[in-house]
Order: sequence, then C-alpha cells, then structure tokens
Amino acid sequence: MNCEWVKNNGALYVYDELADDARHELEMHLHKCEGCKAEVGALQGLKTAMYEPLPEVSPNLLAASRMRLQEALETAEQARGFSRWTMDLAGWMRQVRFQPALAVVLLMIGFAGGALTSFIPRNVVTPNQAADQDSSQAAIASIRGITQTPGTNNVQISYDRLVQDTAQGSLDDPKIQQLLLYAARSNYNSGVRLDSIDVLTQKPQDNHIREALIFALRYDKNPGVRLKALAGLKDFVREDVRVRDAVLEALLRDSNSGIRSEAIRALRPASADSSVRATLRALAEQDSNPYIRTESRRVLATLPEID
Amino acid sequence: MISTPLSRVDDTDLIRQAQQGDRAAFEALVRQYDQAVLRLALHLTGSEADAQDIYQEAFLKAYRHVGNFRFECSFYTWIYRIVTNLCLDHLRRRQTRKEDAAVVTDSEGEEYSVIDNVADERAGANPERDLMRRELGGKIAKALNRLTPRERMVFELKHYQGLKLRTIGEMLNTTEETAKNTLFRATQKLRGALAPMR
Repeated sequence: MNCEWVKNNGALYVYDELADDARHELEMHLHKCEGCKAEVGALQGLKTAMYEPLPEVSPNLLAASRMRLQEALETAEQARGFSRWTMDLAGWMRQVRFQPALAVVLLMIGFAGGALTSFIPRNVVTPNQAADQDSSQAAIASIRGITQTPGTNNVQISYDRLVQDTAQGSLDDPKIQQLLLYAARSNYNSGVRLDSIDVLTQKPQDNHIREALIFALRYDKNPGVRLKALAGLKDFVREDVRVRDAVLEALLRDSNSGIRSEAIRALRPASADSSVRATLRALAEQDSNPYIRTESRRVLATLPEID
Repeated sequence: MISTPLSRVDDTDLIRQAQQGDRAAFEALVRQYDQAVLRLALHLTGSEADAQDIYQEAFLKAYRHVGNFRFECSFYTWIYRIVTNLCLDHLRRRQTRKEDAAVVTDSEGEEYSVIDNVADERAGANPERDLMRRELGGKIAKALNRLTPRERMVFELKHYQGLKLRTIGEMLNTTEETAKNTLFRATQKLRGALAPMR
C-alpha cells in the first residue's frame, strides 16, 4: 500500500467500494500518513458538500406519467420475429465498436438473417386467406402444407381443424379458469365476454382473474362488460394499487358516463390517496359532463381535509 | 400510493407474461420501478417535462423489446440500462445545445439558476440561509455540468442513487473497472471545481 494507490483509490474508499482487505490496509496506511489522510479527508468533504436530498416525485407527476404511458401502451406493439433483433443489434454495436472481428460476425449474421426472412414459403394459406373462405370450411383452423405427388393427380394437404368441445367443472378448476380468462379477453362475442366476466367476478381474489378484470375494464369495447368488470373490482380499490389506477383511468377516460359515475363511487374508499383527490378536484372543476362535476364535488365535500 | 403484497409478484412470472403480450403484467412490472426511474430522470434533467419524456420513452422501449430479455441479468438492471442510455442521450444533447432555460449568465459572466433566485415567501423562510443554499446549489450544478455525460451518469448513480459500481458498469454496458476509473475522474474534476468554495 503506497500513497499513489491511496490517491487513485481514495474515492472508492469514500464510496465504500473497496474490498474488505483493501479497506483495512488503507485505513492502516492513513494512521501513518498525514498526506493521504488529508487527501481522503478532502474526498470525504467533497462527498458531504455534494449531498443533497433527491427531489421527491409528486403524486400528480407520477399519476400523469402513468396515465400517459398507459395511453401509449394501447397502440404500442411488441417487436416480433426479425424486428426483435434490431434493438439488440443497436445495443451490441455500442459494445463491439472496438471489436472488429465480432462486428464482422454480426454483419454476417445480419446478412444471413435478412436472406432467410426474405424467403416466403409458397402454397401456404395464411389465416387471412382462410377467413375469406366460405362457412362450410369454418371447421378448418389453418392449412399447414400442400404436397402433390409428381406426375399424378394426388395431392396431400396437412391442416388443423377446430373441434367443438365442452368443459364442465368447478370455478376452482384451473382448466375452467383458463377457458374463462381466454373468453374474457379474446372472444369476438360480447355476450360471451360478459358471461365470462360475470362468472370471474365471483373469484376476484385470484391474481390472474383480477388482472383479467382490470384488462376488461381498460380495454373491452362493450360498456356492459366494462361495467361488470368494475363491479367485480370495486372491493379492491383500497388495497390494490393496480385496481385503483384502472378505476382512476376509467373515471378519466371511459366513453360511457355510467361507468364514470360508478368509478367515482368505487374510488371513495381510497379517498386518502392524493391522486384520487387530485383527480376528483380536476373533474369537479373541468369535466364537460355536469353530472360528473356534481358527483365529484359531492364526494370531495364528504372527505376530511388531509394536509 | 400504498404498495401491497399483490404488487410484489415474482418478477419472473410477470416478465414471462409480459413477453406473451400481457399488458397488465407489464404494467405491474412498471409499478415496481417507475417511481425510482422518474426520480433519477428528474434529478438528472431538472425538468418534470424532460423526466416524463424519458420515463415514457424508457417504458415504451421496454414494452416493445421485453421479448429480448433473456434473464441474463436482473430486470432492474435491464430497465435501468434503457433509462441510463436515454439519460446519457439527453445529457449529450444538452451539452451540444449549451442551452438551459433555467440557467442564465449575469453581467459578470457568472451563471446562475433562475429557479434558485426566485424569492421564497413561505412563512419561516430564512433568507440568509436560503441564499447560502442557493449559492452552494448553483456551484454544485455548475461543477456537475463540467463532467462529461458518462462521468455525470456514473457520479449520479453512485453518489445520489447509491448503486454499486459493478451494477453501474452493467447498466452502462461496461466493466466495473471502467466505472471505477470514471468515478475517479469525476471526483477529481468536482474537487477542482468546488475547491475555491471550501
């Protein structure tokens, strides 16, 4: 341990980044060396002088940021297929700019990947083409492949079929739950979605079910489904911040005024939350719907003042 | 908002669900990190609008590319890697433009923060103490502006966020040793900039 080493590593000592043995040796050296002691003291003084508490993120800023993000997520798409690799390539290129050999390998992979993804298999019916076929072929899910024996009229077609089936069981059965969750999110028939949400509201304690209800409240196109989901979530507004955020979002942005009114009532147990109060205050002053303004004022008037 | 046990679901499950397109799972992941991300961006940029932009861009990028996450590091490190890169881009752009609406130059060529010079009319404010605080804050801000974006980033993550240099190295796609050297250079520059004050 010498003074040069202390000078180069004093900052690491002050910021508690030295290994235990190195720290011990440095401290032994400081007992004997006034110069190094002063050097480390100056660094400690710098650390103290630079201290300042980090700015607190206001609840309004956080709530506004979250809502803005949620809005953007509605139209955002996850990268799939070849485009998944574009971000990786950008990140890797930062690392490999001083590694020419690896850069060459990456370029080769890029060219090979481009050549492979430009290959389009022929004679495969895409899902869009399958959907255009008449209803007599509705039982067919997709065509996997078509092969003709050379020199003959014999054609072999591999395809997947939809087979109607029925499942019956308790609401605690994972298979039943899985089907209900699928119906709640994916079915084109709003009546089926409504029925599935109606059943799922009987078990909102389950995390996956609660997430499905939140999803329905946020994204389902049918107001009846959204209202049913809200009814199933309202008991969790106070304890679950995800539910609270979803209900706040419904209050602010749902196109149906009935759902917005229900959302105000649902948020009452969470009135201690500053985001809820701030939202109600904003609605009481600015909302274009007079009923929402009145309801917001009425709820605010019943709330105790919190500093 | 009060965090609940439900919000602390295992990251692995949430990540896998998010990778399958489950937006609610991704939003649950966002909740675990977004306050810290916003605090970092706010302290680095000094602007709520810029902090919101970085927040938005970081989590949108994370959503689009969560499929690339292969559990080789923690999700915390992965998210912060995105955020620190965006912050670095912001610092580089700011350095290039050399403009900051909140900082002006007086007739003697001294820079000061406009915000720091707004009078504090709250009851109980101590004008002399506030002046000293503003002067110190101005000098610290000026000293930090002398660092390169990377030095600023390492110093921010070490001094203000309290992260280990090994973690900082991972976030900045570099080694722990490089992060150590960067911290050394940053502290040397700051000592030089703040020496006349002490």
